Amino acid sequence: MSVKYIPVQWNTNKYIYDAVMLLGVALFLYVFLYAAPDILSHERPINSQVHNARAFGACAFVMLTVILCIGPLARLDPRFLPLLYNRRHFGVMTTFVAITHAGYIVDWYFAFSSSNKYEALLFANTSYSQLAGFPFEAFGIFALFILIVLAATSHDFWMKFLSPPLWKRIHYLIYPAYLSVVAHVSFGILQDQQNHVFTGIFMGGAVLVGGLHLMAALQERRADQALLAPTTEWVHVCDVSEMKDGFAKIKLLAGGDRVAVYLNAGKLSAISNACAHQNGPLGEGKIIDCLVTCPWHGFQYDVASGRSPAPFTEKVPTYNLKTEGTAVLVDVKANPPGTYVEPVPAPGQEGIS
Amino acid sequence: MSDNDKPFFVGYLPTPKALRGLLLAVCVLFISGLSGFGLALGVAQDDPGDGAFRFDYGRQTVTGVVELTPYPLLRVTEGNERIPAGHTLMLAGGGKTNVESRAIPLEGQLAQVSGTMLQRGALDMLQLRGGANGISAAEGEVPQIETVPLGRWKLAGEICDGKCLAGAMRPGRGLAHKACANLCLLGKVPPVFVSTQPVDGSEFLLVTGPNGEHLPEKAYHYVAQFISLEGDVERRGDLLVLRMDPDTLEVLD
Ligand code: HEM
Ligand code: FES
Repeated sequence: MSVKYIPVQWNTNKYIYDAVMLLGVALFLYVFLYAAPDILSHERPINSQVHNARAFGACAFVMLTVILCIGPLARLDPRFLPLLYNRRHFGVMTTFVAITHAGYIVDWYFAFSSSNKYEALLFANTSYSQLAGFPFEAFGIFALFILIVLAATSHDFWMKFLSPPLWKRIHYLIYPAYLSVVAHVSFGILQDQQNHVFTGIFMGGAVLVGGLHLMAALQERRADQALLAPTTEWVHVCDVSEMKDGFAKIKLLAGGDRVAVYLNAGKLSAISNACAHQNGPLGEGKIIDCLVTCPWHGFQYDVASGRSPAPFTEKVPTYNLKTEGTAVLVDVKANPPGTYVEPVPAPGQEGIS
Repeated sequence: MSDNDKPFFVGYLPTPKALRGLLLAVCVLFISGLSGFGLALGVAQDDPGDGAFRFDYGRQTVTGVVELTPYPLLRVTEGNERIPAGHTLMLAGGGKTNVESRAIPLEGQLAQVSGTMLQRGALDMLQLRGGANGISAAEGEVPQIETVPLGRWKLAGEICDGKCLAGAMRPGRGLAHKACANLCLLGKVPPVFVSTQPVDGSEFLLVTGPNGEHLPEKAYHYVAQFISLEGDVERRGDLLVLRMDPDTLEVLD
């Protein structure tokens, strides 16, 4: 809902979010780098460059795993939505940690030769046709490239510029990136070490990410089946008696679009369920100060017109409604974004305001 | 779908009371979880071995006969307390470079070398200083130096770059370090085979191509893996040299 783009719009919750995240990351690195070596008691320590590289690499992996768990967790239980709220800062931080990892590696393993270190990274190992000894660095480069693209385009400016659907599609690249990190580690350090603690943590993390996504997808499919409408012109949404003032019922139309039908002060209005910001589910939000408020990042819309209040300019499509007895029906044809539709009095709710 | 009883979080508004407990728990779990993983992963690091640059020995200067395998060696004739006469030193330049351009003109001649030692157990190497300070012709009669053939061997072990292995890096071997090892070997740093069974008392052997050339291209795909290979072994002082036959390379597991 921004009129002018400033790098980050701060608020108390974001400060808390970032402080907790940074504290966690700092503690991980501190413990790995300074507390653990005393326990290790190696005769001679691991070179600090390699030690640093490993700490930052492992940290980036753990961070990425946590980030990828937040989405399905919030879909499974909306109480986790606050973790989603500022996830982008988490992602950008992960990118910095991963860059640091790669930096230590390139400045150590690939330095000191007569060639350029970045060229050396590409030509030093060319055993692409074998599994053992495969140049696992290539997977790291791919993942890092994606992380940098995602971090660089993470700001709302880019979302507007690229359009939310395209932006979202680009940001799904986080999944190939994660798989690539999994390959990077599986073909790299897991082939090399005697101690298998990392293998356990690593596989646990990857399985957790996969499992949560599967659970969320299954739950969503069940929910969608219950919501799916027949292919008629007017679709039955619910009975007025099922509705609560300030909240919505969602209907999945045959074309794939979702409608959020709100009851607001005894009158019914319908808008698209997809928030203009990042497709957040508007029907899972609520009306605050007479405005529909998105549960993801709090963008707001006038329920009758689908427009964000001035000075903001976001718009979502609206839908026509009618009632038959106490049944609420919605017209499957969406109105252009921002079209005002006179709210329909809800039978039996006229007294409420 | 939403209902009245569920707390509703809006980022720019104060967090609903009903959510605060859960979110606090998540924060505590997150912070302690990350410290815990940091500890678990930090103490799971393998011992990188005891190889090191021996700066503590100070600069080493010895004299001997230069040989090319083609990797340059010094058969020490006039040693010191760290590097006795009769020892054979592998020679390397700074970083991932070699000293061939300086050693080739001195082949078969007496030379004085000077530099920093790298040492890991029985394996060592000398990293020479720059230019003529590192290696220069020495006065004197060239003594008779012999090379003793030990026949053909089949060995199991790992091809490493001798310099990282000897202590330029810790860890300096293994698959995570493979690209780094390759880069050293491309820079003609002496390759060393670490044999699982000692050959004539030694587990480290300098590796060359079958006819005394640099490491064959094919061997690069086998660097840092557990492999078997065959080749002719010869003794040059206290150093063994393995002329590997690339057609016999095989990955073991
Ligand atoms: C240019 C990109 C990258 C390069 C060249 C690179 C290279 C390497 C190398 C050489 C190692 C082995 C280090 C050793 O133990 O000796 C390593 C380990 C690792 N890398 Fe990367 N990497 C890159 C990007 C990434 C990214 C983006 C991530 C994760 C987000 C990542 C995660 C890891 C992890 C978890 C390890 C294992 C660390 C450990 O031993 O505890 N890497 N990487
Ligand atoms: S999706 Fe971000 S506010 Fe709706």
